[in-house]
Amino acid sequence: MQLTLSDNNLITDKKEYTGVHPQKFALWIGMATMTMFFAAITSALLIKKGDFRVWESFRLPNIFMVSTAVIIAVSVVMQLSLYCYRHAKFSAFRWLLFTSFVLALVFLGLQLEGWQKLKEMGLPLAGNLAGSFVYLITSMHGAHIIGGLVVSLVFLVSAIRSRKDPIYELRNIINPKRQLNLEMLVSFWHFIDIVWVYLYVFMVLNYQ
Amino acid sequence: MQTAPSVEHAGVDTDHIHGHEEHHHEETFLTKYIFSQDHKMISKQFLITGMFWGVVGGLLSVLFRLQLGWPNETFPFLESFLGKWAEGGRISQEFYYALITMHGTILVFFVLTGGLSGTFANLLIPFQIGSRDMASPFVNMLSYWFFLSAGVVMLFSFFIQTGPASGGWTAYPPLNGLRNTGVNLGSGLGFDMWALGMTLFIVSSLLGALNYVSTVLNLRTKGMSMMRLPLSVWALMFTAIVGILSFPALLAGVVLLEFDRLLDTSFYLNNIIINGQLLGYKGGSPILFEHLFWFLGHPEVYIIILPAMGIVSEVLAVHSRKPIFGYKAMIISLMAILILSFIVWAHHMFVTGLNPNLGAIFTLFTLLIAIPSAIKVFNWIGTIWRGKIRLTAAALFAIGFVSMFISGGLTGIILGNSSIDIQLHDTMFVVAHFHIVMGIAAFFGMFAGVYHWFPRLYGRFMNETLGQIHFYITLIGSYCIFFPMHFMTGLPRRYYSYANFDTFNNFNNLAAFMSIVAIVVFLAQLLFLVNFFYSIFKGRKLEGEYANPWDSNTLEWTAPVERLHGNWPGDIPEVHRWAYDYSVNGRPFTPQNVPLKDGEAAH
Repeated sequence: MQLTLSDNNLITDKKEYTGVHPQKFALWIGMATMTMFFAAITSALLIKKGDFRVWESFRLPNIFMVSTAVIIAVSVVMQLSLYCYRHAKFSAFRWLLFTSFVLALVFLGLQLEGWQKLKEMGLPLAGNLAGSFVYLITSMHGAHIIGGLVVSLVFLVSAIRSRKDPIYELRNIINPKRQLNLEMLVSFWHFIDIVWVYLYVFMVLNYQ
Repeated sequence: MQTAPSVEHAGVDTDHIHGHEEHHHEETFLTKYIFSQDHKMISKQFLITGMFWGVVGGLLSVLFRLQLGWPNETFPFLESFLGKWAEGGRISQEFYYALITMHGTILVFFVLTGGLSGTFANLLIPFQIGSRDMASPFVNMLSYWFFLSAGVVMLFSFFIQTGPASGGWTAYPPLNGLRNTGVNLGSGLGFDMWALGMTLFIVSSLLGALNYVSTVLNLRTKGMSMMRLPLSVWALMFTAIVGILSFPALLAGVVLLEFDRLLDTSFYLNNIIINGQLLGYKGGSPILFEHLFWFLGHPEVYIIILPAMGIVSEVLAVHSRKPIFGYKAMIISLMAILILSFIVWAHHMFVTGLNPNLGAIFTLFTLLIAIPSAIKVFNWIGTIWRGKIRLTAAALFAIGFVSMFISGGLTGIILGNSSIDIQLHDTMFVVAHFHIVMGIAAFFGMFAGVYHWFPRLYGRFMNETLGQIHFYITLIGSYCIFFPMHFMTGLPRRYYSYANFDTFNNFNNLAAFMSIVAIVVFLAQLLFLVNFFYSIFKGRKLEGEYANPWDSNTLEWTAPVERLHGNWPGDIPEVHRWAYDYSVNGRPFTPQNVPLKDGEAAH
């Protein structure tokens, strides 16, 4: 078979300058952009909160505490799955990846439940600004979670497909490029989880 | 033929793989021209898409100049093109505002951000740092496709019943915060398309930028320390960093705006009365949008001008046959501009009721930008001073850039003072300032880059005579259009007609003159387009398999003329010196990959 100049071949994993794979480095910069996005939204909240004439105080529904616990669990399970991958325990890897996927879905469900709770408290989306910001923050964070879920799904599908097909497993699961991509996926999940923890603490401090 | 397993090869020594140049990737039309992941092809895609948008944006300005130059005339041919937007041959008020809105949006974002950064970051970064491609060629391809789809959405908005967005390119609420204002047609679907288009555009910019920065920091060839990088690469990397930090703020601003428009929240809206009816919005503040918008909006002008600065530094050094003057000062100035760009945004908001003490701080930072800018101008002049200048079209445009940057920069110092700005806000003086300093100047940088690197892109030269005619018409024409604006004392910008103001009647002839020149300059750009596309197919060919047409030092000219995904057939050249050894040690030029000679010290 002739070796082709496929695009993965073009970029070495040389680490002589920053000690990091260039694509992983690019992901980190991507995280910086997302950080700026959430920083912009939370500073908008602070500006509006300074205007006491329009800000209606309330306490954040407790359900967001549960969702915070769930998303921390997502991070832990994700890290475990990477650990299993690195130690070639592929069956455990598959199960943990699947569990993290389900947990992330549970997280999204809890966020929706949180919206319901807000509505019951008399804070609809188009109501007082203070309430609108909670919908805004959770939905924008949720959009990033959905993005992560889509990529997770790609990994999950190929992990499940490889269960009974050793050749497929060799080609699509066990190779250095795959491990790099998995590491990047896991770091994205850690990142977006930390962002939620920040947003949660930020909201707890500003809604009391 | 070497064989290898078909698994993907991370961690494999690619230099070894590429040591066999016969391994050409089979390319179909689709993978070569459409879904290309080759940085050179993506560069061409950005350039030609940007040129398309340049023509559209320029044409829009010609249309509204017809209205401004001859407010009482009718142009029946317009009705056949524009239909209801120009009934009786006169551009309607609604469409006039759509024209200026889309002119600003298209030129600021689609030409001078996407077209300029996209083209030259893609072309120059991998070539000049000595890399086979970007950190992630796939993400790079996505960047172009988001750019294109953003453009498709924007273009479509011209063809809907209520027309494109028409509330100004700055998209201020409350005018743009309501879907049905009753006064502004473009605030309807047209604005939603604008917001969607901008969202796609921001994604494109960010995907591009993270790739550019990662590539420069990680994939430099052996010996290419940061302090040996050409200034073009420095500038493009700083541009990407500015984008990474500022574009997300605009995205946040647009998201909040769409929440208000589609989901009836009140982030920006408060006690709005339309047709005597009080709407339910409570507690929002349009000033919040201005903060979010200008947190991008101001850095955006540096996103536009920094690549032009980098290109010009490179072109001036090559064509004056002299080392760049003050290399380190250039980098430090770029860095100073980068930092200052984030703490001056409120100088766009002096008339919003901003606390005057805060205004004083923003005035101070704004004026500080004059220092790195002046250092750069000094260094460019120092570079061409007593050089053996070759007045090619590229060099002319680079010199023209410096001229424009000085002319427009000086009025920036005037406008940066809050006390003066309050008088001049929203007058033609501001229009003159920013068109000269970042509009025309950035275009000049872009043209300099296109004329200079066209042989690298297509293996042929552009026609030099046409290029020089293009330059002189554009230079003289641009000054004729924008310089008189400084003296139209107090004439407000964005007005459809000044007929009801006796004070401004004495500007009628001047306005007509500016409109005539605008049409001439627009036609001169078509000359450039003809030259460009003709030269792709029929231009004078570069001679030899390897060609260095300008006797340049940088690595892009060490690669073969023929386009090759991976850039160099064999090993990537190793770098031994900085990029500016022109006319030193008795040699006219010494490429970066030439080892140091005896007694020569590394720069």
